[in-house]
Amino acid sequence: MVLELRKPRPVWQIMFSTHHTDVALLYTITGVAFLFMAGVLALMIRTHLFFPGQGVLIPDPATFNRIFTVHGLTMLFLFALPFAAGIGNYLVPIMVRYKDMAYPKLNAVAFWMNPVGGALLWLGFSDTSWVSYAPYSVIRAPGPAADMMIFGLKILGISSILSSINFVVTILKCKHPDLPLRQVPLFAWSILTVSLMTLVAMPTYAASLIMLLTDRLGVSGFFNPSIGGDPIAYLHLFWFTFHPEVYIFLLPAIGMMYELIPRFSRKPLFSQASGVFAFVMLGLIGFASWGHHMYSTGMDFTTKVVFMIGTLAAVPASGMHVFNFLATMWGGRIRFAAPMKFAVGGIALFFSAGAGGVLNSAMPLDFITHGTYWVVGHMHLFLTGTIAFGFVAMMYYMFPFITGRMYSEKLANIHFIGMMWGTVQVFFTQHLLGLEGMARRIYDYPAEYTSWVQLNQIATVGAWILGGSFVFFLANLIYSAAKGKEANMDDPFGLGGKYYYPYQAKNPTHHTGY
Amino acid sequence: MKTLIAVSVITVIALALVSQMHFANAQLGQKVSEKQYINLRAEVWNEFFRMTTAAFTVGAIVSGTMIWLVWRFRESNPKNKTPTKWEKFDDPTSGTYEEGGH
Repeated sequence: MVLELRKPRPVWQIMFSTHHTDVALLYTITGVAFLFMAGVLALMIRTHLFFPGQGVLIPDPATFNRIFTVHGLTMLFLFALPFAAGIGNYLVPIMVRYKDMAYPKLNAVAFWMNPVGGALLWLGFSDTSWVSYAPYSVIRAPGPAADMMIFGLKILGISSILSSINFVVTILKCKHPDLPLRQVPLFAWSILTVSLMTLVAMPTYAASLIMLLTDRLGVSGFFNPSIGGDPIAYLHLFWFTFHPEVYIFLLPAIGMMYELIPRFSRKPLFSQASGVFAFVMLGLIGFASWGHHMYSTGMDFTTKVVFMIGTLAAVPASGMHVFNFLATMWGGRIRFAAPMKFAVGGIALFFSAGAGGVLNSAMPLDFITHGTYWVVGHMHLFLTGTIAFGFVAMMYYMFPFITGRMYSEKLANIHFIGMMWGTVQVFFTQHLLGLEGMARRIYDYPAEYTSWVQLNQIATVGAWILGGSFVFFLANLIYSAAKGKEANMDDPFGLGGKYYYPYQAKNPTHHTGY
Repeated sequence: MKTLIAVSVITVIALALVSQMHFANAQLGQKVSEKQYINLRAEVWNEFFRMTTAAFTVGAIVSGTMIWLVWRFRESNPKNKTPTKWEKFDDPTSGTYEEGGH
């Protein structure tokens, strides 16, 4: 896995390779690049909202809509999914003791769909918001932008399905015969769970995208109320895919924490069985709660209660993960290197985000928070506070194995403090903004609403801190990859013992003799 | 261990269900007048504050435990200088509690 330090290769050799570590590197770098691109859009939005009524940075509402749409789509489809697939590519074949992914060429094809899909999303720069609700996306959303977004998402969806098939076959069929499935490491279990969820959930969205496109072309009217269609049907199809998708984003981050926490606590995981159970439970429950996004659409009372119960059922399974982490740390001798700091920070914020989610899922309370900044704060606390923390933790962990050099712990500490501080300041404040009644996705608000102004400004300062911390992250990655201290590949973090999974993730085609 | 996990899961689900169903049933079969609408808003906010109290209480316990864990089991803690019993193994993270460790 040490790519270029000892035996450099031309870039094209990595780009056209089908080896799982090379595809993993491509996925990881692409994911991180899109994270920064979408992060810049987020900072533009927050800076704009710092100055009510002045149109700073973003001149008109249409541009504002385009910016938050592409920000959301990029973070979800071009950062969260590819990054998880990247780490999965690095580790899953080794964890199941197989030489590569089951279908290496399919793996490379699935990756190369990402830049194509990404290009369509960014060149179109649609304004429909990432959910593309009908009827706006059918009737009013402007021309090529929305169509390019539909095609881009279609391509990214196919990529997800292909890589999910590959992961499922690799884990279930290529696993070493001596390795029982229940003993497969929990990161691989998380990838198996999300791959199966993707295979069930994604085709529904694929179908709804085709229906959306044909509606836009005027050859059908599934979601067009003016010719008898039902926009609510789109919401059902969309959330049937995208509530499970929330867990598809989340579970790999939890799986990464399962890899890091025992390692840095220097002891075995407290319970493999409860981790597996909780992953499977969340995989199933993820499909029982999509209606909670739609309480305000006129659903009948019984249906709402069923979805409320379905949503609350995720609490025990999530709690099992948290308690498994705490019990693993208990009695250990913990080294708080950067990966462990981010993993523990991620657990703390996971709990806060989950608590907000319980309040959201309670049907009467949802009517207060629906469509407000509370929801923005809640989803971002999950996406940044848990998922991005887990991913960043894994990035630091893998860094010496990927580059052969050690990152700067000092810069990583600054990154951790800034990211933790910024995340809490932005997203906790957005919860309060929601309770103050500020609707999400609005371009501007009256400067006379002093509580909105103050809370928006606090949130924006938090966003600057968060964004600034990522500058240190980027500088650390670039500088340390080029000039960092050479890592001790047997034990880069000084923990003692062997690192079976990352250490063995070496690419034999260019790593012989190292 | 498995029984404990199963009982905990069932208890949490049952507790969540009881409180939610109770609140939901209380609203059924009532005619909504203007006055009742105002009362319903009060009920909703009461529910919000009750759930927030519960969330903050549980959150304080879990966060407090985590902060204590981080402080107590960090390697720089003087009480934590001795290597754990797992550190003598080739890979301290392999093996599981269910199988009695290594």
